[in-house]
Amino acid sequence: MSWWPFSKKKEDSRAYVQQFLEQSKAKTPGIRSIQQLSFVVLDTETTGLDPSKDHILSFGAVKIEEGKIKINSSLELYPESDREIGKSAEIHGITQRLGTISQEDFSRTLLPYMGNSILVGQHIHFDKSMLEKITGIPSFPNSIIDTANFALRLEKGPQANWNHVNSKDYSLDQLCERYGIQTEDRHTASGDAFLTAQLFLKLLKIAQSKGIQTYGELIKS
Amino acid sequence: MANVIVKRVQEFLKRFPPFSFLNPSDLELVASQVEVQFLAKEEILFKKNEAARPHFYILKEGQIGLYDQNEIKDYCDEGDVFGVLALLGKRPYIYEAKVEVDSLVYSIPVSVFEEILEKNSKVALYFAAGFASGQVVVRQDLSTGQKARGVLKKDNQDHSLLIFSDPSQIQFSERVIHIDPSATVQAAAQKMASESVSSIVVCGENQIPLGIITDKDLRNKVLAKALPLDTKVDHVMSSPVITKKKDAGFSDLYLSMIKNRLHHLILTEDGSPNSPICGILSDHDVLLSMGNSPAVLIHALLNTKVVSEMKSIRDRAETMLKYYLENEVSMDFVASVLTEINDVIIQQAVKIAQNKLSEEFPQMKSIRFVFLCLGSEGREEQLLRTDLDNAILYEDVPKELEKIAADYFLQLGAEVAEILLACGFSPCPGEIMASNPKWNQPLSQWKKYFSDWILTPTPEALLRASIFYDFRPVAGFTGLSEELSHHVYENIQKKKGFLSYLGQNAFLSPPPLGFFKDFIVEKSQEHRDQFDIKARAMMPLTDLARLLILSYGVVGINNTFKRFEKLGEMEPQNAQLFTQAGKAYEILMRMRALEGLQNQNNGRYIRPENMGKLQRQLLKSTFAPISELQEIVRIRFQLDLLRS
Repeated sequence: MSWWPFSKKKEDSRAYVQQFLEQSKAKTPGIRSIQQLSFVVLDTETTGLDPSKDHILSFGAVKIEEGKIKINSSLELYPESDREIGKSAEIHGITQRLGTISQEDFSRTLLPYMGNSILVGQHIHFDKSMLEKITGIPSFPNSIIDTANFALRLEKGPQANWNHVNSKDYSLDQLCERYGIQTEDRHTASGDAFLTAQLFLKLLKIAQSKGIQTYGELIKS
Repeated sequence: MANVIVKRVQEFLKRFPPFSFLNPSDLELVASQVEVQFLAKEEILFKKNEAARPHFYILKEGQIGLYDQNEIKDYCDEGDVFGVLALLGKRPYIYEAKVEVDSLVYSIPVSVFEEILEKNSKVALYFAAGFASGQVVVRQDLSTGQKARGVLKKDNQDHSLLIFSDPSQIQFSERVIHIDPSATVQAAAQKMASESVSSIVVCGENQIPLGIITDKDLRNKVLAKALPLDTKVDHVMSSPVITKKKDAGFSDLYLSMIKNRLHHLILTEDGSPNSPICGILSDHDVLLSMGNSPAVLIHALLNTKVVSEMKSIRDRAETMLKYYLENEVSMDFVASVLTEINDVIIQQAVKIAQNKLSEEFPQMKSIRFVFLCLGSEGREEQLLRTDLDNAILYEDVPKELEKIAADYFLQLGAEVAEILLACGFSPCPGEIMASNPKWNQPLSQWKKYFSDWILTPTPEALLRASIFYDFRPVAGFTGLSEELSHHVYENIQKKKGFLSYLGQNAFLSPPPLGFFKDFIVEKSQEHRDQFDIKARAMMPLTDLARLLILSYGVVGINNTFKRFEKLGEMEPQNAQLFTQAGKAYEILMRMRALEGLQNQNNGRYIRPENMGKLQRQLLKSTFAPISELQEIVRIRFQLDLLRS
């Protein structure tokens, strides 16, 4: 389907958005065990750090179900951006973006993929804002877990405060090193999502050993 | 084009045999199906003798030890392939895999790899030569001169289960050790010791069995109570005894042991307790002849409160189920065994949930309730872990307790639902579960529900009928459920016209065959060209059986083929048709379960083009009784009048 600026407003309230919002109304019981939860671990590569100005160059994600990373659920998408039209490839000099898709198609693929899974990522709030912007949904209803924050809490306790730690110690590189995850190359959204997923599996295991067994306890932590 | 994540996995696998022998496209296919899990030190990945999982493993990072009874056999390090018995003949694991150092493990589905084994001889040889860790079985096979290919293609034959197709193979002792009722417990113990048996039958005149004394009785009733050694045996024996006829058929004998949780079943000449004893069958006899048996599984279930163990036992039951189905074990037996296993899981789940909530709700301990299974589990027909429909019914409580009771039972229902989910059952898409407040109600409300449905049979209420009218108590106080049944039948008697409405349900799905005697297949995108065996063939039969049995006011038979059997007795003139319908239903259950096991789904959609000619004919033959029954019902309940 071609990108057509005049129909965009109308498209936003289309069936797949409705469906996405509808299915996330089903509340996950707090007592559901972590093993039974479904997570989408994701990462985005963007042109910068300002959600209002910058845009997504690539998106990578993989699902964790029954405590396992399911490689066959991995998803990699390269959305077109508004700015790209008419502009040259200078913005995305590093990444060669083959097979870009329209924002419409991006949303159409992303939303059913996420469903009402828990979204997980390193500094997930930022990725979430970027994804909300591109899909035109004011606020995703999904629960979220920031791996940096999760690691901090597991290490320093639930009262831990970002003001008292060096935030560099909680970068993805540092965390991977600390938790023994090999970081061969860190260039792409997918690659980082996969690393984050492995990190998250380890953190979950630590959480479980500390008595965090259920959805309710996980979200609180 | 493979994405970055798949490529990462691919690059890792490529470094190690047997993956290094794969061509890029096969490698990509394998990589894309990998599952990654992280295991902490001391965790057990699989146990010795556990049924093979549908995947084998390669260690990405860490270290895993393979043990045989605490004796280390092999260590796996990065890149080592292990757990391959899953791939080779699907035999149970011969070692235990224990995590030595925190490990990242990749699981590779056997289904993907089997095709590769077929066509890639290098890979086949790799396994045949036993390079993968802990692969002793194959080495032994090779030493007897078998070729690698042959080994890999050999069917998995577990002779222990073949016993069901040849019941004569079961060995039980015909010589029964027995003793007079007037003898002392010491004499009984001495006799048991000298014969080295764990039980002794107490017999009256003419070898009529009066009771039984087991090791456990001596421990619990004599020693623990400090009774004198000259206590008479009839004082401590377990009585009356449950007896069966010697030639009753193995499944019958065995089922009564499972159902009554008996360790010893006494066999008599005519099967009644009033005839002479002629043999004894112990669970030990049964276990000796079978590896993976229902008794073993149920015993294991009764002895665990760990949900993950319950799940793995239920997984094992699935292996057993597959074997039964493929070996044409009678559906009656298969369904009874699986129902019993499911029931025990539910009962354990209820217990776990009760224990968990007991401190918080001490005042609820005395409030009676019953956990009801609905739908297929209610009908004792649930073979696969498809949707679980259930509900909680509790006694009416005084006004001041109403709120707290509602809260308690809802939490109880939610806990049970979560445990069942963790045991691998699917949630009900219609939310007909005990965790839904609507279906977690006191008796008066349940009575009101049914009264309303019967009085005002809206289309929605009629659809519910197919689920709710087959309720069956599984845990808790059965009396409550009986009271509800009674209420339902009374209401139906009062409003006979309701049955005509219910009859319409049986006509909702069109006949399974089209004009050209072809299957009516689905048109929807997702299941295009597939045949919906549940909606088109099974549900009409279930609906018809329910309708007819309700019309006779028969209580307590939920099972569809048993309902047809009963109907055959009640209407001798239609007996043949009912027998056919029952048989048809058994065939459909078997087909669906096999389809589901093969594709790891609910087996509901079958592709007619993939079936053999014989199978297609068999399936078609099950449709004949459906249309005949529909005709009878149409006339009997005057459905045409309703429609016009």
